Amino acid sequence: MAEDMSIESYLAAGGVLTNPTNVPPRYRAELMKLMATFVDSELAGAAGFADIINQGPGIKERIAAAKIVLEKTDNADKVLRIMGEFGANTERYATHHPWTARLDRDADIGQSRSEHDMRLAVFNYPLNGWADAVMMNLLMGRAVAVQLAEFSMVSYQPLAEVFRAVAPIEARHAELAEEGVIKLLEAGEAEALQASANYWWPRVAASFGSSASEKFEGLQAIGLRKTSNAELKTRWEAEAGAILKKIGLTVG
Amino acid sequence: MARFHDLEVTDIHKTIRDAVVVTLQPVNGAAEEFDFTQGQYLTFRRDFDGEELRRSYSICAGKGDGVLQVGIKRVDGGAFSTWANEELQVGDTLQAMPPMGSFFTALDAGADKQYLGFAGGSGITPVLSILKTTLAAEPNSSFTLVYANKGVNTIMFREELEDLKNTYLGRFNVIHILESDAQEIDLFTGLVTEEKCAQLFEHWIDIQSVDTAFICGPEPMMLGIAAALRTAGLDDSQIKFELFASAQPGRAKRKAVSQDAASSANQTTAAITLDGSTQTIQMPKDATILDAALDNAMDAPYACKAGVCSTCRCKVLEGEVEMVTNHALEDYEVEKGYVLSCQSYPLTDNVVVDFDQ
Repeated sequence: MAEDMSIESYLAAGGVLTNPTNVPPRYRAELMKLMATFVDSELAGAAGFADIINQGPGIKERIAAAKIVLEKTDNADKVLRIMGEFGANTERYATHHPWTARLDRDADIGQSRSEHDMRLAVFNYPLNGWADAVMMNLLMGRAVAVQLAEFSMVSYQPLAEVFRAVAPIEARHAELAEEGVIKLLEAGEAEALQASANYWWPRVAASFGSSASEKFEGLQAIGLRKTSNAELKTRWEAEAGAILKKIGLTVG
Repeated sequence: MARFHDLEVTDIHKTIRDAVVVTLQPVNGAAEEFDFTQGQYLTFRRDFDGEELRRSYSICAGKGDGVLQVGIKRVDGGAFSTWANEELQVGDTLQAMPPMGSFFTALDAGADKQYLGFAGGSGITPVLSILKTTLAAEPNSSFTLVYANKGVNTIMFREELEDLKNTYLGRFNVIHILESDAQEIDLFTGLVTEEKCAQLFEHWIDIQSVDTAFICGPEPMMLGIAAALRTAGLDDSQIKFELFASAQPGRAKRKAVSQDAASSANQTTAAITLDGSTQTIQMPKDATILDAALDNAMDAPYACKAGVCSTCRCKVLEGEVEMVTNHALEDYEVEKGYVLSCQSYPLTDNVVVDFDQ
């Protein structure tokens, strides 16, 4: 058997890696960043949403919000466990950081991350009440669906499998948000929801990263990316825009 | 973080000339931690001339076998596998981490599934564990194994596979593909390539009815088989891979400690290698290696900046740094010169670090 194939050419040909023992150093670094981005975003998202539970207008809404907090934390745990196989201290990781910390609502940070964690920039903005939280969850929920479809194809099989398992759970969160938005619209909250949509739209859009990312080709060569940031963002804009239109709101 | 446990070697026997099957018994009450899932692997550690080596080997036992067994094939120049084949004795103690890996699918006693396994050489070990467990746990499921080897005398577990065929008559089928030994059917000679798989799918394997495929072998073989399976209509969630690269990392060189003593100046010259290129920068001794790299527009990897996640790991090749916090790297990594760059401050006037190792 021809056994002399480098890991790099194996990955370039679409091969997948299955355990930490033969992951090249630079691949490891990019994979860890990708996993940390997901874990930090889920933990920060769940922490922010936890504070909103009691603002739910009814018990059904509070159950939905609590379920989202539980499941996002659980999803973070699934990926954190893979980071643990690479040496991350999972116990400490989950608690070393104030995940509820937020910037000002008007802070303008674009796509930059905070100094101390890898959460997507959008999770640094505070939620402004129940309706705002539901709208954020709707728009970001659709973005997560697009991003998870992309990352379900990463070349590290254990992570791809977790993302495939997590995707329908996250999709359900976006559905719950859509149901919540419709309920709020029926209660005459259209104006507040439109204001929230206007606020969150550009911030969620920024979570797709720079359209001129120099790193993309390098990540593509090792199977950690397939579709460009710009293409993913366009996909989200079409899907999320269609939902807003369907429920009688406009893209901000 | 996973910890190492002591395991006693209770049996060791050759399956072919240069491969042993080692039976292990967890000691000190660690049995529960070693309750494995079929297809998982164990990572062992052992000191060779003062340097710790870690090697992973798949469990070859089925869930129902009631034992913990790994298969270790001797690799040319491989310190651990040679030692296991030539010196390891019954009664010796090995150290291993609890089983890891996700090379398996959930079992269901009521399932009526068709599984297809591909194994190349010692890649048989996890596939054997999977097929034994599956055939026992799912009485209505069938398993076809395509097993690639150089020749008849390098087929690991050959007799055991024959016995399984008899035990599970009609539910278990093996197709041996031999690289150099001629067989009655031409198709069964040569390498398992994409083309070979496509031919097997024409008459020998009903690929349309396959629910899940397992592949464990060297890289080119895995690529060829995966391509053929995708062409035949399987999607990624139906294909399970396990790769142990033929070249597991060799012995790491000892950290080269620079002889020049730290001077009084606060500045350090740091040569930082990242993505194949090296930048030499001046940095203050009260800055971390990571921040210095980031300040110089290098895209150094990091996530938590708290010494927890190990994303920013790099290797110190020359000079010395002080790592103030470490919750992620293990002693053996630190001994080899790895540091968490987010927690490491230069001590010497020159340091050379590498993120690519």
